[in-house]
Amino acid sequence: MSKPRVAIFDFACCEGCQLQIVNLEEEILDLISVVDVVEWREAMSEQSEEYDIAIIEGSITRPEDEERIKDIRSKAKVLIAIGACATMGGLNKLKNNFQDLEEVKKCVYKDSASMPHLETSMTKAVDEVVPVDFKVHGCPIEKEDFARIIRSLLLGKTPEVPNYPVCVECKKKENVCRWEYGEICLGPIIRAGCGAKCPSASYRCFGCRGYVDNPNVDAAVDVMDKYGLTVDQLKSKMVLFGSKQGPTL
Amino acid sequence: MSIKKLSKDVFKSFVDALIASDQQVIGVKEKVQAKGNRFAFDNLQSADQLRLDYDITLLPPKKYMLPQDETLLTFKVAGESKSKIDNSKLILIGVHPYDMIAINQMDELFSQDQQDNHYMTRRKNITIIACDVATPSKNVFASSMGTATVESGFDILLTDIGDAYVAQAGTDKGEKLLAKASGAVNASDDDLAKRKAIQDKNKDALNKHKLNCKPSDLPGLLEKAYDHPVWEEKAKTCYSCGSCNTTCPTCYCFDVQDQVNWDLKTGQRERSWDGCLLENFANVAGDHNFRKPREARFRHRLYRKGKYVPTKIGGQIACVGCGRCINGCIPDIANPVAVYNRILEDIKPD
Amino acid sequence: MCDCCSSEKDIYLPELATITKAEMMNQTEMFMHLEFDSGKELGHQAGQFVEVSIAGIGEAPISVSSSPQQKGFEMVIRNVGRLTNAIHGLKAGDKLGIRGPYGSGYPVDELKGKDLVFICGGIGLVPQRSLINYVVSNKDEYGKIVILQGTKEYEQRIYTEDLKKWDDIDGVTVLETIDVAHDSWKGNVGVVTTLIPKIEVDLTAAMNLVCGPPIMYKFVLMALQEKKVSHDNIFVNLERRMKCGVGKCGHCQMNDQYVCQTGPVYRYSELASVPEAI
Repeated sequence: MSKPRVAIFDFACCEGCQLQIVNLEEEILDLISVVDVVEWREAMSEQSEEYDIAIIEGSITRPEDEERIKDIRSKAKVLIAIGACATMGGLNKLKNNFQDLEEVKKCVYKDSASMPHLETSMTKAVDEVVPVDFKVHGCPIEKEDFARIIRSLLLGKTPEVPNYPVCVECKKKENVCRWEYGEICLGPIIRAGCGAKCPSASYRCFGCRGYVDNPNVDAAVDVMDKYGLTVDQLKSKMVLFGSKQGPTL
Repeated sequence: MSIKKLSKDVFKSFVDALIASDQQVIGVKEKVQAKGNRFAFDNLQSADQLRLDYDITLLPPKKYMLPQDETLLTFKVAGESKSKIDNSKLILIGVHPYDMIAINQMDELFSQDQQDNHYMTRRKNITIIACDVATPSKNVFASSMGTATVESGFDILLTDIGDAYVAQAGTDKGEKLLAKASGAVNASDDDLAKRKAIQDKNKDALNKHKLNCKPSDLPGLLEKAYDHPVWEEKAKTCYSCGSCNTTCPTCYCFDVQDQVNWDLKTGQRERSWDGCLLENFANVAGDHNFRKPREARFRHRLYRKGKYVPTKIGGQIACVGCGRCINGCIPDIANPVAVYNRILEDIKPD
Repeated sequence: MCDCCSSEKDIYLPELATITKAEMMNQTEMFMHLEFDSGKELGHQAGQFVEVSIAGIGEAPISVSSSPQQKGFEMVIRNVGRLTNAIHGLKAGDKLGIRGPYGSGYPVDELKGKDLVFICGGIGLVPQRSLINYVVSNKDEYGKIVILQGTKEYEQRIYTEDLKKWDDIDGVTVLETIDVAHDSWKGNVGVVTTLIPKIEVDLTAAMNLVCGPPIMYKFVLMALQEKKVSHDNIFVNLERRMKCGVGKCGHCQMNDQYVCQTGPVYRYSELASVPEAI
C-alpha cells in the first residue's frame, strides 16, 4: 500500500503548531516513514496539488482564505485542524468582540490600515467554513498528542479525544491546585489532553483547548463568591480563548 | 513480632542504608513546586529528604500499586498480545494509617474473584514502612472513620515519640528489615506508653470534620437517602472534574486504551485512572450515557464509599477520612462528612 | 508473560480466535463464527458475553449469540464504535482477541417446564438467540415458546432466516413488527409492545425474557405490568460499558451491581433496589 500523501497548510496563525511538528525532531523520521509529506511551507520548498490528508493550521480571517480552504477541502480525503486558531478560532477571535473591523484595523495598523493585504473579516474556525474530520487541540498543539492522533488515523481508528477537564491530568501529576494560590485557573472547564502543561509549570490554565462538552457554567458564580472573586474577573480570564469560540468537537 | 526503638540518628542511618541498597526507596518529600508545605511520595536520594512530620501527601501511595498510567500488554497490531508485569521492588516509607487501610482494602478488591496480577505483583514487591500521623492535615477526618491508627498491612509501623521512633514489625519481611537497623534497641515500657499516648490522641484528634454517626451506620443510612435533596444541592456546583476520584486512596476505577508505535505494527494496551464523576464514565458505544445527570454521578461516589464497595470488603467503609477530596474540590462540595451529616439532619440511621 | 510469573494468569490477556465465517446480515450487523486457535471451546452459558479485541484498536463486550451446544461460537456485531467499525473490515481467516466468557447467563434449568416469551428489540435478539437456539433444540423440556421481535426499520431486520426457521417448529411462534412502515412489509407495524395483545400464552405463568435498547425496557415493563406479570417472571438482559469484564474497572456498575459479574441477565425482581438499572 502506498503511503498517504500529507500536505500541511497555514492560515492566520503564529505557525507555532507547525513548529511543534518540527519539534518532533527524530520522530519526524518516523512520521515520514509512514506518510509522504508533499507540501509543508515551514519545513520544505516543494508544493503539491495532490494529497490525501490536509493538515490545517490557523484561522480563516479574510474572504480569500475561505476560497483557499474550500479548494484544499475539495482535494483532501481527510482534513485535520491543528491548534486553537484552526479548531476554534483561537486568539484571532479576539477581534470578533468588536463590531467595527475598520476601527480594529486602525487600532492595530494605524496609517497602514487601508493597505489592500490587510483586508480582514470576522475570524472563523476552519469548521465554520468547511467540514473538519479531526481536531488536534491546543495553543500550541502538544507534539505527543499530534503524533498519537496521526498514528491512530493511519491505523484507521478514530482518535480518542478526552471529554474530561484538565484537572484530571493536573491531579495525576500531583500539582498544587492553582486556585489555592488565588489564581483563576480554567482547568475545571477546559478539555484535557495537554497533560496539564501550564499548571505543571506553575501557571494557571488559560483554556487553549476549549471547553469540555458540558462545562458547569452554573458553578462559576458560587465558586467566584467562595474565593472572594467576581464573575467579571472570571470573564476577563476567559476572553483569550473563551470568547466567541466555536465548539471544540 | 518485635518492637524496637530507633533514635533519630539510628533511623537516619537505617534509611540511608536502605537507599544505598539495590532497592528503590520512596518516601514523603516536600513538593518542590509548592511553598514548602505540600508533600508527595517520591524517590528518596537521602534520609534528610524524608519528612515524616508531613500532614498529607497530594496523592495517596496508591500510585505505586496502581500507577496513574501503566502498560498492561504489549502487542502486535491485530495479532498476539503479551502481558507486561512490573516486577520492580521498592520500599515505601511514611504511609499514614488511613492510607495503609486504603491499601488493605485495594489488596482485597484486586485479589478477590479474578485476581489482577498487575496490581498484586507490584503490591507483593512493595515493602511498606507506615508511620503514625504527627501533624494532622487541615481536612483529615480519619478519627470519624476509625482509620486514625492501623493494626495490619504494614511491614513496619513507625511512631515518632519525640527523640526516637518506635518501630513495630508487622510481617516477617518487616522483621528481617528491622533487624538490619544497627543501633536499634528493644522498646521499653516507657516508649510503648509514649506510643500509645500518641495513638490514643490521634484516635480523637484527626477529626477536622466530625461524622455524626458511626461509620457502620452509613450503609443503612444510605439505604434511605437515594432521593434526598442533598445530591442536587451539592452537585449543582460540581464541575465533574473528578478531582475527588483522582486524589482518593480507595478509588480504583480505570480506563484501558490501545496505543500504537510509529511502525504501526506494534503497540501497548494501557490502563489509566478513571473517575465516576467524569461525564462520559458510563457511556457505551453509540454515546448513550447511563449516568448523565451530575447529581447521579455525585451520588454514585458517595454510595460507593458508604454502601456499595463495603459489600465487597466485609462491610468496611471505603472512605478512610484522608480529606484529599475536600482539599481538591474547588467548589467545596466533595466533603463526605458534610454530605452524610446533611442526610442525618433528615434521616436517622437504623 | 515474563518467566517469573508465567504460572499466574493475566486476566486482561486475550486469547486469539480465528474468524471461520463472517457475513453481513444487513447494512449495520455482521454475523461471525469463531474458533479458538488453541482448539478449546468457549464453554459459555446462554446470555454470557465475551470481551472482544483487535490489538491496536481496542476492546469491547459483545454477547455470544450461539447455543452453548455447538462447535465454536457466534456473535453479531453492530458497527457503532471504533472497535466494531474495525471488526466490520475483517473477513474469514482474520483473528480477534477474546477474553471470557463473563457474566451470569440465563438460568436455563429454572426455565424448564415453563412457557417462554422472548421480547426483543433490534439487536436485543442477539444475546437472546443463544438461549432461543438452546431451548428450541431442547424443545421437549419447555412449554410454548413465543418470540416477539421489533425492529425500527425494515432494512435493519436481523436473523430473518432464523426467525422463519423457529416459527416453523411446532410449539414455537414468532411475531415480528417494524416501527416504520415499508412497502415490502406486510406484517405488523408499531413498537414491539403492540405484539403483546396478539399472543395466546398466559403471560403471568410464562417466563418473559426481555432484551433491547434502553428506551424499550420502560415500555415493555409497563406493558407486562398491565398484564399483572410478576417481576419474578421477567428477565432482562442489560447493556452497560463492561470494560474489564472482571468486576474491577467500575464502568458497568449500576448502583451496587457490577453488570459484568452479576449481569447482564437479571431477574427483574432482583433489580427492585437497583434504580439505575432501567
